[in-house]
Amino acid sequence: MAENHSADSVQARARNCAAAIGALFNGVFGTLDHWRSRVEASTAWGAGEIDPAVYAMVGPELTAADPLLIGAGFIAAPGVVRGKGLHFAWWLGPLEDNPILGTTTEPSQLDLASREYADYLRDLSALEWYRVPEATGARHITGPYVDHLCTCDYILTLTAPVVVGGSMAGVVGADVLVRRLERDALPLMRAVGAPTALVSAAGRVIVSTDPQLPVGTLAAADAGPAWTGAITCPGTNLKVLVRTAQ
Amino acid sequence: MSQEPSATTPSRGARAAVFAQLTGAGRSEQVAQRLTDAILLGVLAPGDRLPSEAELAKRFGVALVTARDALGAVREAGLVETRRGREGGSFVLATEQTPERLLQARLRGLSQVEIADLAVYFGTLAAGCAERAAELASTDEAERLTAWLHDADFSSASDSGRNAGGFYLEIAVVSQSPRLVREQIRLQAEFGPMLWLCLTDPVMRARVYAQNQRTAEAIAAHDAAAARASVRAQISDLSAWLLAAKERLEQGAAADG
Repeated sequence: MAENHSADSVQARARNCAAAIGALFNGVFGTLDHWRSRVEASTAWGAGEIDPAVYAMVGPELTAADPLLIGAGFIAAPGVVRGKGLHFAWWLGPLEDNPILGTTTEPSQLDLASREYADYLRDLSALEWYRVPEATGARHITGPYVDHLCTCDYILTLTAPVVVGGSMAGVVGADVLVRRLERDALPLMRAVGAPTALVSAAGRVIVSTDPQLPVGTLAAADAGPAWTGAITCPGTNLKVLVRTAQ
Repeated sequence: MSQEPSATTPSRGARAAVFAQLTGAGRSEQVAQRLTDAILLGVLAPGDRLPSEAELAKRFGVALVTARDALGAVREAGLVETRRGREGGSFVLATEQTPERLLQARLRGLSQVEIADLAVYFGTLAAGCAERAAELASTDEAERLTAWLHDADFSSASDSGRNAGGFYLEIAVVSQSPRLVREQIRLQAEFGPMLWLCLTDPVMRARVYAQNQRTAEAIAAHDAAAARASVRAQISDLSAWLLAAKERLEQGAAADG
């Protein structure tokens, strides 16, 4: 029947959309894998060695024309680079009007000491982008969330564990601005031909072609029977939802 | 008569003022005020080394000379001493200053209308964040907020000040709005130590903690009206406390004089 046929093609296009968005994230995870093996092969673990080595890897990604990544680096587990707490070999790409750094044209290294307002965070290793890869040993996408430590913007953070000698040595990671991702994801989602939302594992809307389901809202509670079952973007914890009835 | 403003009308002058540079003196006083508040509230402890002048300039986004002037003012106030040499730098001194002295300095400098207006502004922002957070919090986010608050220390003035501010920043994060988060950071950097002066009072520490618990519960229950009401009650208490402290101070001063 024509209607079923049409619904089937929407489903097929939604699967294509999910696959393309999955490929986009897998591209970033591919870069993280590369960084991870480079860090794991390190022979000197002082900040004096690690920081320049990490910057040599991530700098080009942050300064490329129209970069997908707004922040990237290696976050070392306690005891790996320094005795207590995490060590951040982490760089932020050029920023516009950042509350702490203003407008920058070059990457700047994250300096947590300049974030006095974040002193109330007692344990940074309890934050999702560190805690989950540490617990599962697998890569993870955190967010979307407002990152008040680095960009002060709405972002996704991709992290993968770094393992040296069988133990957790930290995570490599990259931040993607939601407003930058939107530019790549929207054309893929419009091609579905029906209102479509990209949501996180928790159901938080990241990008949407449906004004009734805007970015930042939770789709889990709103998405009724009018929406098809979520299609997972391969290799990620993200899902594509498609509205099949008005 | 032409409705077009001429070059001499006040509206042109007002527009020029918007884009006028902040004066060096004003900015150095702001930097000195932040350092003074931090030392008197115990956020910076005796013996702590302050960042270098160059680092201060970078952090506050001011010229090196402005940071130097600010540090000079804090040194003249007897709050830090600067030592030369390889182990040198500016170090926080043990001070006789009490929270009451801080109150005098800070509250005398502000009019009632400035204090009341600050409370309105902060209250509107914080209540809006709480309302939005209640609408949008995922189960995971609500649980994290509750767990963080459960372990947050509200037993001393400096810890509770940091955590009371941190609580509102966390709520702004849950609201999913970068603009609200940025505004919280800006507002707390500028007025945080003042807003939380009441936490020098143990009764207020207990009350603020209990109110925060109610706010966190309302957010977890997706009860936007209750979250908003709880935040507004707290800000109203902060405002009343600050105005009462100012009144006591000035009546005392009038009696002394």
